Amino acid sequence: MEEKEKKKHRAKHSGPKAEKKRKRYLNDLGIGDEENARKRNPKAFTVQSAVRMARTFHRTQDLKTKKHHIPVVDRTPLEPPPVVVVVVGPPKVGKSTLIKCLIKNFTRQKLVEIRGPVTIVSGKKRRLTIIECGCDINTMIDLAKVADLVLMLIDASFGFEMETFEFLNICQVHGFPKIMGVLTHLDTFKNNKQLKKTKKKLKHRFWTEVYPGAKLFYLSGMVHGEYQKQEVHNLGRFISVMKFRPLTWQTSHPYVLADRMEELTNPEDVRINPKCDRKISLYGYLRGAHLKNKSQIHMPGVGDFTVSGVSFLPDPCALPEQQKKRSLNEKEKLVYAPLSGVGGIVYDKDAVYIDLGGSHAHEKEEEEVRPNHELVQSLISTHSAIDVKMASSKVSLFMDSRPLGSEDVGQEFVMPREERRIDLMTGRVRRKALFEEEEKENDDAGSDEEDDDEEEAAAMSEDGSDGDDEDDDAEEESDRELLREEMAVRRAKRLKTEVAKEEAVNELPAFADSDDDLEMSSEGEGKTAPEENEMEQDDDEEEENEDDQRTHEDESSGSELEAASKRVAEPKQYEINSEDTEMRSQISEHSLKRKAVLTTDSGNCTAEEASESEAENSSLDESDDEEGSHDESEAAESNRKGCQHTPKKADSIRQTKLQALEAVDDDVENLLREEDEYEEKIDFSADTTGALKWKEDLKQKAAQAFLRQQHSTPNLRKLIYGTAVEDEDRENEDASDELGGLFRVSRPDKASKQNANALDCSKFLIEKPQDWDLEEVMSSIRDCFVTGKWEDDKDAAKLLEEDEELYGDFEDLETGVVHKGKHAAEGDESGSEEEEEDGKMSKPEPEEEEKKKERMDKKRKLKEMFDAEYDEGDATYFDDLKEEMHKQAQLNRAEFEDQDDETRVQYEGFRPGMYVRIEIENVPCEFVLNFDPHYPIILGGLGNSEGNVGYVQLRLKKHRWYKKILKTRDPLILSLGWRRFQTIPMFYIEDHNGRHRLLKYTPQHMHCGATFWGPITPQGTGFLAVQSVSGTTPDFRIAATGVVLDLDKSITIVKKLKLTGFPFKIFKNTSFIKGMFNSQLEVAKFEGAAIRTVSGIRGQIKKALRTPVGAFRATFEDKLLMSDIVFVRTWYPVSIPTFYNPVTSLLKPAGEKDSWSGMKTTGQLRHERGIKLKQNKDSLYKPIVREKRHFNKLHIPKALQKALPFKNKPKNLEKKGKTPKDQWRPAVIREPHEKKISALLSALSTVNNYKIKKAKIKHREQLKEYLKVKQKEDEQKFKRQKEAKKKIYRILGQREKKRQKSSLKGSSKGEKST
Amino acid sequence: MNCYSVHNFEASFIRLIDKVTNGSRIEINQTGTTLYYQPGLLHGGSLEHDCSPSRSIGYYLESLLCLAPFMKHPLKIVLRGVTNDQVDPSVDVLKATALPLLKKFGIDGESLEIKINRRGMPPKGGGEILFACPVRKVLQPIQFTDPGKIKRIRGTAYSVRVSPQMANRMVESARSILNKFLPDIYIYTDHMKGVSSGKLANIAGESCGPRSHQQILQGGCVDSTNQSLALLLMTLGQRDVSKVLLGPLSPYTIEFLRHLRSFFQTMFKIETKTPEEEHMGGEKVLMTCVGIGFSNLSKTIR
Repeated sequence: MEEKEKKKHRAKHSGPKAEKKRKRYLNDLGIGDEENARKRNPKAFTVQSAVRMARTFHRTQDLKTKKHHIPVVDRTPLEPPPVVVVVVGPPKVGKSTLIKCLIKNFTRQKLVEIRGPVTIVSGKKRRLTIIECGCDINTMIDLAKVADLVLMLIDASFGFEMETFEFLNICQVHGFPKIMGVLTHLDTFKNNKQLKKTKKKLKHRFWTEVYPGAKLFYLSGMVHGEYQKQEVHNLGRFISVMKFRPLTWQTSHPYVLADRMEELTNPEDVRINPKCDRKISLYGYLRGAHLKNKSQIHMPGVGDFTVSGVSFLPDPCALPEQQKKRSLNEKEKLVYAPLSGVGGIVYDKDAVYIDLGGSHAHEKEEEEVRPNHELVQSLISTHSAIDVKMASSKVSLFMDSRPLGSEDVGQEFVMPREERRIDLMTGRVRRKALFEEEEKENDDAGSDEEDDDEEEAAAMSEDGSDGDDEDDDAEEESDRELLREEMAVRRAKRLKTEVAKEEAVNELPAFADSDDDLEMSSEGEGKTAPEENEMEQDDDEEEENEDDQRTHEDESSGSELEAASKRVAEPKQYEINSEDTEMRSQISEHSLKRKAVLTTDSGNCTAEEASESEAENSSLDESDDEEGSHDESEAAESNRKGCQHTPKKADSIRQTKLQALEAVDDDVENLLREEDEYEEKIDFSADTTGALKWKEDLKQKAAQAFLRQQHSTPNLRKLIYGTAVEDEDRENEDASDELGGLFRVSRPDKASKQNANALDCSKFLIEKPQDWDLEEVMSSIRDCFVTGKWEDDKDAAKLLEEDEELYGDFEDLETGVVHKGKHAAEGDESGSEEEEEDGKMSKPEPEEEEKKKERMDKKRKLKEMFDAEYDEGDATYFDDLKEEMHKQAQLNRAEFEDQDDETRVQYEGFRPGMYVRIEIENVPCEFVLNFDPHYPIILGGLGNSEGNVGYVQLRLKKHRWYKKILKTRDPLILSLGWRRFQTIPMFYIEDHNGRHRLLKYTPQHMHCGATFWGPITPQGTGFLAVQSVSGTTPDFRIAATGVVLDLDKSITIVKKLKLTGFPFKIFKNTSFIKGMFNSQLEVAKFEGAAIRTVSGIRGQIKKALRTPVGAFRATFEDKLLMSDIVFVRTWYPVSIPTFYNPVTSLLKPAGEKDSWSGMKTTGQLRHERGIKLKQNKDSLYKPIVREKRHFNKLHIPKALQKALPFKNKPKNLEKKGKTPKDQWRPAVIREPHEKKISALLSALSTVNNYKIKKAKIKHREQLKEYLKVKQKEDEQKFKRQKEAKKKIYRILGQREKKRQKSSLKGSSKGEKST
Repeated sequence: MNCYSVHNFEASFIRLIDKVTNGSRIEINQTGTTLYYQPGLLHGGSLEHDCSPSRSIGYYLESLLCLAPFMKHPLKIVLRGVTNDQVDPSVDVLKATALPLLKKFGIDGESLEIKINRRGMPPKGGGEILFACPVRKVLQPIQFTDPGKIKRIRGTAYSVRVSPQMANRMVESARSILNKFLPDIYIYTDHMKGVSSGKLANIAGESCGPRSHQQILQGGCVDSTNQSLALLLMTLGQRDVSKVLLGPLSPYTIEFLRHLRSFFQTMFKIETKTPEEEHMGGEKVLMTCVGIGFSNLSKTIR
C-alpha cells in the first residue's frame, strides 16, 4: 500500500533549475546556448532582409527619441516655494471639505473657514499652498496659470460636468500642470456592480482627457462630515511625493500668489477723496523666475502696474531645519493662512481681527498651536503702521555688526542732502574731486571758504554762548587761512600725481565686498593697505596739510563731528583756551559716536579698528545714534542761521568751538590716539567723497584707475554703480530743489553735462601708453604668447612627462625603437638611492606615503581616462546637451551661493522661494474696497516689452464643443499670458501666395489666423477665448484656442473688393468702360490691371478717357456685349480696431465678481434693443421663376456647308406636306342594296362576335371547374398514395428490424434465409 | 548748429534706426535739441544706408551688432561711408573681434559676415561694407574666462591711393616690433584703388605694435572695444549665469554698465583678478551676471 501512495518524481520543465539542467544537457551535447548556436550556425542568424533590418532599427530609434524632451536648464531654487495645489470642481462636490481634511491631515489643525490660499508644511522638503477654485471662469483661468498640481474633484454620482472639461481645456492651453482626479460621492451607489462600472467609465474618460494612466483617486463615503482619514492620508502621500515638470510660462516669469494684502494709502488722502488711487502691499511666495525691483507686473482682474518696491521677509512658513529624522514633529507642522484666520487672527484689507472665542478657548489654543501662535504674534506686531514697523525693525547686515535701526536708515537718507549741496545762486555743485591741478586749486580755495562757513554755522547753534572768545581768535583764524591757502597751492604742485591717485581711491573705496547700504558709515574708513603705506611715507607736514584740507572739504554733519574730533589728534597748533563742561560731554559723545559708526562696518574694518571698536562701550551706541539725528537737524538749522552772520564772527565762533573740541577730546582719545593716527588721516581723505561724487569726471577717473592698476584693488562695483542709496538721495535732492512746491529746478550736474558733450565712442584710448621699449614692460605680457611661460597644468613639457609616467614604456612599431619608461627606470634608481638614503636618514614613512600618493594619483588618472573614453563611446548629442544644461544649472546655483541675501538680490533679483512683500501704487480704489479673499490675487511678472501693446497674430481654432461660430469684428475675451482682456480679433486665412485674406467667420473645423490689437506676448504662448465671462451657461464656454505666432507694429490683412463698370462703347476687342472709377487719377493707378467680365472674357485696363470722368479704354480677348458687366478684383487692407480692454473682474463689488461684462457684440445689442436688421432686398430668397429660353436656329453659312463632308452637311429634307387635293383617293358611295348587305353583315358579325365571346367565357369557367375537380382528385390520390407508401415503408421497416434481430441472434442463419 | 543739437552723424544714425525698425516714432524739434523716440519692433531685411562721413562706419556698425540678432528678418545691410578713421573702431577691427564674440553667443552660421567691398578714408568716405547677421530667438550664456595664449598674429595693412609700397613698409615696421614675442606673424596687405581720397602715412605701422601690446596687456577674453557688446549680450541671455573675463573697463563700458542697470535692472558681479592670479598681462576683471531671459519678440514662428 505504501509504495502505491508514494508520489512519483516530476521533473521541472520551467524555472531556473530546469534551465540550468537543460543548459548542462545541451553543453554535454556540444550545442550550448544561443551564443554557441550563433557560432555553430551563423547562417541562421544573419540578416534576412536589409530593408527590414533598417526598418526595425529606425523604429527603435524613433521610439527612443520620442521619449526625449528638449533638455532645459533646471532653474528651480534650492529651497523651492510651496507647491500650488488647486482644488477645482463643480459646486457642491466637496472641495472645501477636502481642503480641510488635507490641512488636518498634514497639520492636525482644523480650519473653520477657508479664505484665500493656505500654506502648510507637508514634509521635510515640501510645502503646499492649497487654494480652492470656484466655478467662475475668471478664477479658473487665473488659477490654471499658477497651478503646479490640480486636484480635480468629480461627483461620481453625477458624472463629469462642464466645469471639469472647461478647466481641463484651460490647463491644456496654459501649459499642462499635473492633474489628479478625485472621485467623490461614491457612497451614493448602493449597487457594488454599478459602482465599479461607473468608476471604470469615469476613469477611461478621464484618461482620454489627461493622459492614459492618469491617477484617479476615490474618496468613498464621509464620516462625520469628513472624508475617511486613511484615504485623505493616502492622497496626502501622493501629493507629497509628486514630481512636477517645469512649465514654460511659469519658469520664464516671476509670479506671486498673494496670501495677504495691506493698504498703505495715506488716510488723509482717502479722507479727501475716497476714490483716490490706493497704495497697497501684497505678500506671498515668489515663484517662477527671479523678480527685479521696478519691474512691470500684471494683476489678472485688475491691470498693469510697476512694482514700486520689493523686499523679502523671513519665511512665515519655513521648512524645518535639516535633520536626520523621518517625520516632522508637531512644532514643524506649520500652517500659514493670513486670510483664513488661523489661530483666531484674520487679516482684512486694513485691519487685523482677533477671534478670542472666550478666554478659556484662547488659552487652550495657545497651548495647542504654539509655534504658529508665535509666528502669528510676530506678524501682528509687524502689522502695525508702516513707519512704526520701520522704526522697530532692525536688520543686521553682517554677522557681527550692530543691527541697523530705522535711525540709521534715516541718517542715510538725510545725510547726502547735506553732502551735496547746490548753491542756489550759481547752480554749482560745491564738492568736487577734480584731477586737473588748476581746477583743483580754484575749487579748493573756494570750497574751503564755503565749508568753513558751513562748519561755523554748524558750530553756531552749539556754542552760541561762546561769543566772548571771538575777538581773540579772529586774528589767529585769518592767519591760518592765509597759511592754508598758500600751502594748498604748494602742495597741489608737489603732490599732483599722488593727489590724483588718492582722489581716485576716494572714489573707489576699498574692498570689493563692502556693502552699499553701509556706505555712509563705512565711507570714513574706506581705504586700502597700499594707500596706507603711501601715507606713511609722506612727511608730517604734508599730512597735516592734507588733513587740514580735507577737514575743510568735509560737509556732512556726521563727518563734521569726526572732523572735530580729528583736530584733537593733530599736533598742537592751537592753544587750549576754554574748558566747557557742557561741551565736553557733547563732544565726547560725538567721538563715541564716530566709533559707534566704526563698529557698524565690519567689512571694512582693519584689525586696529576692530580692536578699537571692541574697546568702545557698546551700550552707548544707540543713544549715540539718536544723537546723530539731533545733530543733523542742528546742523541744518545752524546752516540757515550762519548765513546771517558776518563771516568774521562766524569764523571766530568756529575757532572757539574747535578749541573746545581739542581740549575735551584730548582726554578722551589720549589712549587710542597712537594707533588711530594713521587711520584717522585716511578717514578724512575718504570723508571727502560725497555720495554722488562718483559721477564726476568718470572718464578721466577710469583712465587713472587703469594706469594705477597694480597698486590697489579698486572697488569697481562702487565706481560703476555708485551706491544703492544713491537713487533715494537723488529723490531727496529733487524734493529739496522744489521752489515753493511748484517749480523744480532741473540742474543737470556738471559731470553728466560733460559726458553728454563728450565723443560717443567705444574706443579706449590710453593717453599715456607705456614705453614698450623697456624690458620690464615687455616682460609683463611675455606670458601672453605661446612662446611665454605656461601654467603648471598646461605646460607642454610637464604634460608630456605626465603622459610618460602614465603609459610607461612603449615600442615604436615603425622604427622598432623601444622607449623605456623613464619613470620606472628612474624609480628603480631613485628607489635604490632612496633606500640607501633611508638607511642613513631613517625617514621611511614620508617616502612611503609619497609613493603611495603617487600610485594613487596614477590610478586615479587612469580611471579618469577610462571613464572619459568609455562615456564618450555612447554619448549622443542629446546626452551632451543634457550634460551642458546640468553644468549650467550647477553654475547658476553655485555662483551666488556664498553671498548674503541682500547682495544676492541686487545681482540676480529676488529669487523664487522667497517670501516677498511687493508694494504697488496707483491701484484703483475698487480693488481695496471690494476686496474678497475668496478670489485669488496673482501678481504676474512681465518680461521685457511684454507691457507694450501691438498687433498680435495668432493661429486660432474654434473649439469643437462651442456651439456658435465666431464672427470677425465681434469682441472676444482672450486669456493670454497672465492677462484676460477683451479685444476685437479679425480672422484671416493665408492664401497660397502668402496673402492674408480676411474671413467673415471662423472655419468650422480648421485653423485660421487671427490678428488683434493687444499686449505683446512671446511667440508660442497659448491662449484661449471666451465670449463672455459673466454668468453661467449650460453650454461649453471656451470658444476658441490657439497660439501666438507673430508680433508686429503693422498688419497685412486684406479683403477682396470688386469694382464694377459697364461698357458704353464697344469696338471689336476694345471697349470703353465707365462707372468703375471716379477720376482719371484713379484710373491711372490701375492702368494695366487685369479686368474680367462676368461671362469670363478677360481684359486689361489701358488708359483713362477724358469724358466721362473715370471712364477708360480697355481691351479684351473678345468682343463684349452691351449687357456685360466688367469688374476688377482688388485687395483692400483692413484696419484693426485698436481695442484692448482688460477684464477687471476683481474690481467688481463682492458677490458680483463673476458678472463682468465688457463690450457687447452687435448681435447682442440688436437682440437687447429689438432692432431688426434692415436687409438688402436683393439678398432675400425668392422662388426662382425661370423664363423659357428661346434659342435661335443654327445658321451655317453656305460656303461652310459646301465644304462640310456629306455626313455633317445639314440634310435639307423637308417634312412631307399635306397631300394635295388632286392626289386624294375618291370617296366610295354605296348603293342602298349594298348598304343593306353591309348593315346585315355587320349585324351578323356583331352577333357572331358576341356568341364567340360568350362561348369563350363559358369555356374558361368550365376549365376552372375542371381544374378544381382535378386538383381535388389529385389531392385525394396523393393522400392515398402517401398512406400506401407509409404502409409499405412501415412494413419494410418492420421487416428490416426483424432481420436485424435475427442477424444478431445468428448471422449465419440470417444469411441463409436471405 | 550749436553743440547741443543733433549732429550730422547722429541724424544719420537715427535714420538708420528708422530703417531697421518698424513702427518707431521719431520726432526732432526745429532746433534739433529735443529728440522724441518711441521704439518700434526690429524688422531687418535687406537694406542700404549712407553713413555720415563725419564718423566712420564702425560707429554705426557697433550698434547694429547689438541689434542684428534680434530682428524679425535676418539683417543684410550695405553701409557706405568711412571704413577706417582714427576715432572709431575700424571695420577691420570689428570684423576680427566682434564676429567671433557673436559666435560665442550662438549667433553663427554662414550668413554672419562683414565684407569690405570698398575702403573709404575721411574726409569723404566712399567706402562700402556689407554686414549680414542671422536671427536668433535666444542667446546662449557664456563662460568665457580663459583667454588662452596668443598663437599667431594676423593683420591687415591697407593703403588707399598711395603707392602699394607704403603698405609693405608698414608691414615691415609692424613685424619688427611684434617679432620680439612671436614668430608666427602674417600681415596681409590690402591695397585698394579707393573711390575717395584720404591721407595715410606709415606712422600707422609703428604705432600699431605698441597699441596691440597695450591691448594684450589690458585684454581679457574680449578686447576693450567689444566689452560693452559682450556685456549686453550676456544681459540679454537666458536666465543663466554668464561670465566673461575682461581687461580694465573702459569709461565707455562703465557708462554702459550704468545704462544696463537702468534699463534692465541688471547688476554685474565684478571681481578683479590680479595679474599674479592669471599669469598674464595686466589686471583683469571677471564680470558675472544673470541674464534677464530676453527672447526675440520680433521673430515669427510658423
